[in-house]
Amino acid sequence: MRGLRIFASRLLGLFGKKRRDSELEAELSAHIEALTEENMRRGMSERDARHSARREFGGLEQAKELYREQRGLPFFETLAQDLSYALRMLVRSPGFTAVTVLTLALGIGANTSLFSLINSVLLANLPVGHPEQLVVIKYTDARAQEAEDDFSYPMYEAIRDKNIVFSNVLTRAGLNFNAGYDGQSERAVGELVSGNYFETLGVQPFLGRLIGPEDDRQPGASPVAVLSYVYWQRRFGSDPSVVGRDFILNNHPIRIIGITPPQFYGTEMARNPDIRVPMMMTTVFRPVPANRMQSARHRWITVLARLKPDISRARAQASLDILYHQVLAAELQELGSSVSAHDKEQTLLSRIQLDPGNQGFAHLRGEMERPLLLMFGVTGIVLLVACANLANLLLARNAKRKQEISVRLAIGAGRRRLIRQWLTESLLLSLIGGFAGIIVAYWAKTALLDFLPANYSANLHAPMDVRVLGFALVASLVTGLLFGLAPALQLSRTKVSFVLRHQAPSIASSEKLFSLRSALIFLQVALSLPLLIGAGLFLHSLRNLRGVDTGFVKENVFLATLNPAMNGYPQERIKSLYDDVLARVRTLPSVRAASLTTSSVISGSWDQEGVKVEGYRPGPDENMSPNAAVISPGYFETLGIPFVEGRDFTEQDTAGRPKVVIINETMAHYFFGKKDPLGKKIGTSDDPKAPPDMEIIGVVKDAKYVHLWESPRRHFYTAMGQEPHLFDMTLQVRTSGDPEEIGGLVRAQVHDLDTNLPLYATTTLQVQIDNSLTQERLLTWLSSLFGLLATLLASLGLSGVVAFSVARRTREIGIRMALGAQPSDILRSVVSRMSVLVTLGIVVGLGAALELSRLLGSMLYEVKAVDPLAFVGASLLLGIVAAIAAYWPARHATQIDPVVALRHE
Amino acid sequence: MAQPRGEVLQGTLDLIVLKTLEALGPLHGYGIAVRIQQVSADLLKLNQGTLYPALLRLEQRGWISSKWGVSENNRKAKFYSLTRSGRKQLLAETESWERMAALMTRLLGRAEGV
Repeated sequence: MRGLRIFASRLLGLFGKKRRDSELEAELSAHIEALTEENMRRGMSERDARHSARREFGGLEQAKELYREQRGLPFFETLAQDLSYALRMLVRSPGFTAVTVLTLALGIGANTSLFSLINSVLLANLPVGHPEQLVVIKYTDARAQEAEDDFSYPMYEAIRDKNIVFSNVLTRAGLNFNAGYDGQSERAVGELVSGNYFETLGVQPFLGRLIGPEDDRQPGASPVAVLSYVYWQRRFGSDPSVVGRDFILNNHPIRIIGITPPQFYGTEMARNPDIRVPMMMTTVFRPVPANRMQSARHRWITVLARLKPDISRARAQASLDILYHQVLAAELQELGSSVSAHDKEQTLLSRIQLDPGNQGFAHLRGEMERPLLLMFGVTGIVLLVACANLANLLLARNAKRKQEISVRLAIGAGRRRLIRQWLTESLLLSLIGGFAGIIVAYWAKTALLDFLPANYSANLHAPMDVRVLGFALVASLVTGLLFGLAPALQLSRTKVSFVLRHQAPSIASSEKLFSLRSALIFLQVALSLPLLIGAGLFLHSLRNLRGVDTGFVKENVFLATLNPAMNGYPQERIKSLYDDVLARVRTLPSVRAASLTTSSVISGSWDQEGVKVEGYRPGPDENMSPNAAVISPGYFETLGIPFVEGRDFTEQDTAGRPKVVIINETMAHYFFGKKDPLGKKIGTSDDPKAPPDMEIIGVVKDAKYVHLWESPRRHFYTAMGQEPHLFDMTLQVRTSGDPEEIGGLVRAQVHDLDTNLPLYATTTLQVQIDNSLTQERLLTWLSSLFGLLATLLASLGLSGVVAFSVARRTREIGIRMALGAQPSDILRSVVSRMSVLVTLGIVVGLGAALELSRLLGSMLYEVKAVDPLAFVGASLLLGIVAAIAAYWPARHATQIDPVVALRHE
Repeated sequence: MAQPRGEVLQGTLDLIVLKTLEALGPLHGYGIAVRIQQVSADLLKLNQGTLYPALLRLEQRGWISSKWGVSENNRKAKFYSLTRSGRKQLLAETESWERMAALMTRLLGRAEGV
């Protein structure tokens, strides 16, 4: 209470300064007058009386100063003084201010933009109620290293109904729709959700109602759908009257019952479903296999649960694990002798694992965590280099201010007070820089988001929220302290006698090799080099990936996917439609080859299928599931994959004819060694008693199938004509010209066959491969950008120090030249110290880079830990830039006119 | 703020000022200084200038209030007077001072006796 009163009174004391000062003046002079009069009464002369009064009173100015300090809030007053002084200094040297603010803006901006991404990807929760109670249910497998999250529907039911640790357990599965409305059909991203999905997440409808347990009781009985806000906006123009109306999903009329709120995107940031339908509609939308909802063998759904309030994750995991094993044991019992004892044992080794579900399934996080943290570290180092740079700039400027400092110290300024003032100055600078940095960060994160594939960035807005702005503020303050403290301390050690004696030393005797300024130069070089080398490593890795022998010809191939099954085509019609599409496309001008496949190369999706091989006995845990694709004739011609032996499929390889298969070289070697695989048989039937029934008719060269960096995989191809069930397939068209141009023509042909059949995921093979390298390209770009930025800053710092040293030594250089020194001697004497520092920095930087290189190992493709290209290249680049940076100002030294120089100062 | 040696301790000065105002009623700075000098018989070396920050401090705490008026020899002067809370404060401080003084006396007396 009293503290508040004192504060208020002092706060008031900040105002009406003039009036209060004159009142104080009046009061004090009245006092002295009274003292004087008293003294005169005692018989002193007026002069003596006044003198004596002054003595009795003590220091008049001191008393006033004490009084003023007592009156106001000295902290704020001093701050205001310092700020106005700092502002004046900044305005007076606009060049210095501009360089500093720009450096800080880049440094703080880079850090803040990365932090805004980290904030969104690694720190943000699902936009649902109490996300911290959610857990993702996973299981570990004896075979796989990482926990898996796919479950069968019966397992989900068991977990949902028999657990005692969750208040709710939801399940979901992704699928895509062919959505028709107003005679227009297009592909939409969909999700099958359990009846308790929205209830578990605690989501309220934006409009209408959401799917509830009553919609999820009977298979196929509830043709209802909930739309996402974004989809409703985009497709229905935010028309509220669509709620209650029907639209067409895969040829079925479905009633729109509600809209989800704008910020809700589901259980995974990287997936953005447009349409959600009840899980029980699976029988309608994914009719094959028919026993999907009953089979324990089909794992196709993921499960998220909400813990009961007082149950810990560990306890829930232990409890659920028991239940899980009971269910597993029952399932194995049912399968009986069809599963080997070894497989049963393996299955029972599986364990339940509960992961935090506050971010949902967080696949995006898993993918982006390492690159984001890595780049965050890189920007942190860039900021450190910037700090070192600014500290050096301030040190150089300090040298010019020594005179001012000496005078101020001589007339009694406290050193603490001076340090405080300089820190205020550097903090002001860093705050201005931080403010500019926020603008840079906003721009940079927008650019970064644009760089990411659309499905990543759909929910990734990386808003500049309070946390991000708080980060920018803290980063600015820390930066200001970092670069301001050392120069301020150094400056405060200035000797009072310094200026009073003489202005500046003419001989550079005070320039020691291990001065603070040298240390800063060394630090900048040593920090920049690893960044440059890191960039070099990524660049080299990306170049390796780009140059990888894919095994196919990636140029001039147009890709598009179509799925007539979604439009309710029966199987026979699907087959004939695919045949018609191929026939029509092949007649188009400039088309050299066209084919269909169930899995397009390097598309991010692939299939594997278990096989039995004639004459091959697999070991107990041997992986017998090579990659598999169903293809049309002409596939290998379209991609330019050569045959080692045998023949391609033809139009005659149909359902009634003997079953045929084509395998790749790796598979041929794996199963048949040196023997000729042609004529041998393999089979894919689930029935353990069925003998292999597909005859190998060809062997093709290996290619890259899933990633560019994969090692050779076994792969087999079966004929489209012999496949009983066909769904979506990717059309691939090789053209003699620009593949983009053929797109319109292909679309017209498909439209001609069926106006309601959408063609989606249209792209070119080249683009598809580039997209598969998004992360690598991003890392390469960012690390190059930051590496060059750090190098630029370091060289600017170097330049500044050399220029300053030359300016200081003007007189000395003049004397030496007058005594006959050659320009080259002068140059050497100026630059030699720098070259020692830079070399030292490079040596230490190389050591650090070696560590970094080991750390990056797994992110690099075919790049050795000590990659000569990156290490030598980066060191050379840095050395050359440093040499230019040092030489540029040093040149001035050689042009000094001795006569002018001797008159200098 | 460290007080130079030989000067009055801050707390003591506060107490003296409060006591003076209690004894003499409203008084200007000069009057207070003179009174202190008289009472202390020059035992206390008071830099009279330091009186003013102390007065301000007491005023900020609400123990005294000030008013401009006219002094005995017709000069404009600022008169300070004790407030109610100042009176309370004086009582409290007097008590604690006496307790402290008694303690010190006892302590030093015994020490001398050994």
